[in-house]
Amino acid sequence: MTEPSNTDRKVTSLRELPHSIEPPHDLWPGIETRLGDIRTAADGATPAQRRAVRMRWLAAAAMVACVAIGVWVGRGLLPGPAGSGTVAVNTSRPQAVQPPVNAVPHEVYVSDPRYQEQRAALVRELQARLAALPQPERDKVTASLQAIEKAKADLEQALGHDPSNALLQELLVNTYQDEMRVLTDVHEASDPGRGI
Amino acid sequence: MRIASGLAGTLLILLAGAAASAANDQTFDRQVPAQPRGVVEISNVSGTIEVSGWDRSEVSVHAEHTGGSEGVEMSSEGGHTAIKVRQPASYGRGQARLQVKIPKDSELAVSGVSADVTTSGVLGVQRLSAISGKITAEIAGAEVELKTVSGSVQVKGHGQPAPLRASTVSGDVHLERAGGEIEAGTVNGALIVSVDGARSVRAHTTSGVVRVEGTLAHGATVEASSVSGNLTVRASADGGFAYEVSSFSGEISNCFNASPERVSKYGPGSRLTGTRGEGMGHVRLKTMSGNVELCDRR
Repeated sequence: MTEPSNTDRKVTSLRELPHSIEPPHDLWPGIETRLGDIRTAADGATPAQRRAVRMRWLAAAAMVACVAIGVWVGRGLLPGPAGSGTVAVNTSRPQAVQPPVNAVPHEVYVSDPRYQEQRAALVRELQARLAALPQPERDKVTASLQAIEKAKADLEQALGHDPSNALLQELLVNTYQDEMRVLTDVHEASDPGRGI
Repeated sequence: MRIASGLAGTLLILLAGAAASAANDQTFDRQVPAQPRGVVEISNVSGTIEVSGWDRSEVSVHAEHTGGSEGVEMSSEGGHTAIKVRQPASYGRGQARLQVKIPKDSELAVSGVSADVTTSGVLGVQRLSAISGKITAEIAGAEVELKTVSGSVQVKGHGQPAPLRASTVSGDVHLERAGGEIEAGTVNGALIVSVDGARSVRAHTTSGVVRVEGTLAHGATVEASSVSGNLTVRASADGGFAYEVSSFSGEISNCFNASPERVSKYGPGSRLTGTRGEGMGHVRLKTMSGNVELCDRR
């Protein structure tokens, strides 16, 4: 029966472990040599090269700052382009949906391009689809779309004052989903051969 | 004399018109064998669709159609039966009144555009949709999906734990004695839900009202939200519930004298949280500007 080696031996208590373990050889000379190489390389750069590197970093930081300020100005100060985020509905009666005051572009809140494409296509076809519905249904659906527009405008306005409000954010998401549901339902409803 | 003959002529024309119209009215009666758990699809643009479940393994159709309606098509193959009223591709031309009897365990899919849809005694899955038509359904224990644009939805349950989804754009939704898992949504219609042992209720409206009343199952969840519509929950639950009510600018009231707290010292927003009973269930109500009323009694 052979004795287990030091490394194979099972440790049953912390006390059995050595207080320190010496490395097989001194590592420091190798580390010192490599640090010296790096320092020499850095010292080799001319002052002009070092300034150029610094300037490049400054230019990149300035660009990022400009973009951030632009986004902030666009979101907070400028009114959104009329109609970009709203559904304008014309019916035979004068009750067209008004674009909300200080509307923030839809893209600010929902940036998914697939969503934007689908929504834009549905909005483009909305007038024609509504025209295919009988007048009483058209009026009802128009009133619903107006309710959604108003809800979006109210929520976006409230979020303008309190952008991190989780309740408002959640309700806005719900309202966007409602809008898509209504647009889809109207799209399908105006085709008499199909159900919704 | 001239007046009398004029009146007589007018009367004759009216009678002739009525006779021609009556001649245009047609009926359709047919019965085909069907599987007890097959699928039955029905579509009708205008008029009514009445479907009832029966114990026979056959589908029976009685239709009365008028004016521009082009007749009824019926086909049955394998476990699939289809009934369709042919219409010209425009609204308002002719109507059909369909009375259909199907094996009670069938899966039913109905599509009515402006036709009112009524179902009773159907125990299988029901998928009913209409655009402006009204849907009235009696539900059993199977899954039910109801969808309209401007038509209203009325559901009568018996407290069975059936998954139920009802959505409308501008119509009202009335669910009576609904059990199981309920999901309902409307934009500006009213959502009135009477629950009878429901396990979960999810209701969402933009500007309509939501009212949930009745009894909830042990550990049930109620989630309701609106942008500007009022939310009312008056429901008791075995084991009680924990509640969380949030409103940005609306009022929060309750029947157990709990005081809502302000979310921010400087801005709008209030919240009411707490527990009733053992707190086994969960009630979460959220609104922007609607008022909220919560009570753990009916």
